[in-house]
Amino acid sequence: MEEFDTQLQELRRGTVVLACLQLLRGAGYGYSLLEQLGDHGFSTDANTLYPLLRRLEKQGYLTSEWNTEEARPRKFYRTSLDGIRLADALTTEWRSLTTAIASLTKEEH
Amino acid sequence: MTATLTERYISATIRSLKPELQDDVRAELEALIADAIEARTDQGEAADEAEREVLSELGDPGLLAAGYADRPLHLIGPKYYLTWWRLLKLLLWIVPVCVVGAVLLGQLLSGAEVGESLVQALAIGLQVAVHLVFWTTLVFVVLERTGADTGMKWDVDQLPEVQEDGAGRSELIASLVFLAIAAVAVVWDAVRGFFPTGGEPIAILNPGLWPWWIGALFGLMVLEAVFAFALYAQRRWTTALAALNTVLALLFAAWVLVLLLGGELVNPEFLSFIAQAGGEEFAAGNADAAGNGGVFRILAVLLGFGIAIGVGWDIADGWRKAVRERRVARV
Repeated sequence: MEEFDTQLQELRRGTVVLACLQLLRGAGYGYSLLEQLGDHGFSTDANTLYPLLRRLEKQGYLTSEWNTEEARPRKFYRTSLDGIRLADALTTEWRSLTTAIASLTKEEH
Repeated sequence: MTATLTERYISATIRSLKPELQDDVRAELEALIADAIEARTDQGEAADEAEREVLSELGDPGLLAAGYADRPLHLIGPKYYLTWWRLLKLLLWIVPVCVVGAVLLGQLLSGAEVGESLVQALAIGLQVAVHLVFWTTLVFVVLERTGADTGMKWDVDQLPEVQEDGAGRSELIASLVFLAIAAVAVVWDAVRGFFPTGGEPIAILNPGLWPWWIGALFGLMVLEAVFAFALYAQRRWTTALAALNTVLALLFAAWVLVLLLGGELVNPEFLSFIAQAGGEEFAAGNADAAGNGGVFRILAVLLGFGIAIGVGWDIADGWRKAVRERRVARV
């Protein structure tokens, strides 16, 4: 698949945002989110995920708070109401795209 | 005590961030890196090995910092690139050419050597070009970082006209008419003169040029006419035509410049007639201009300059059209 790397990356771009918004409906912190994403099949680099979380927070789709109860203080992110609306919109778009793609291959045969 | 790799990595990352962001990013990165290292040591990896691996995966701290600060990692992005490129091309076409021309003219008028003037003018032109590129680019880099709008919007009215190739009937007629007028003017100048002298007509062109030099000029004119017909017959510029055009233009330039530099082009009687007719005012003006070799020398430089530019343009234009034709043909 290596020869198609550029195109595949282009197609995947944007899906990480949707995955984050969905996974962070229950709060989570950076490293756990990275592992969750990997488990769900969204292989993401740490150095793109962490700045992305900040950006989504700045845009108001995530909220954050520091959890200092444990030995290691961690920044927890949670999807905001705006973030949930965005996630729903993106999911709807994804579904319609799936249908559209399916219709393409159907017409071929 | 020396700082750990992690401390060095975090410092390198947050150094370029805004102060209010630094502590927050530092604390978050500390936790993230510690989590990642822990996950590896839990698998039985050695602590220092795990730290190296985790930091290597995070990659260049400059890249990470750019992500945190939302900084572009390019000089000029797609939003401004075309505007920048178009403006730069326009400026580079106009400004250095004007500067080189102006400097060259000034040098020649003040009596400098041709070669020396050319070198100096080109050197200044090069400097001007470098400055243009640098400052224009700098302005756009600032725009890219501040996100300002250049106000340049494209619409269909900006589409360039489909360019005429200059090989049509009207070009043929224009060339022939121009050549005919020129030929008549040369003969008229010799036989009747262009202005009243109150006696014998005085020719502007040196009568000593008849018959050979003037004959050569007529020969060139005939060749130009033949060329105009050949261009019309081909209906388009070709490499061969552009080469032929170059040869003809250079021959014409050589004809003028050799005579001009030798001081043989203009009738000396005509010059002395003008000096006389101009009277004292002319003599005063000529004395003022004496440092530059006098009024006639200045006029000769201007004429030579004008011919050189005209011929240069003619040659370049021919090649430009030929190259474009070839490109069109290839499509």
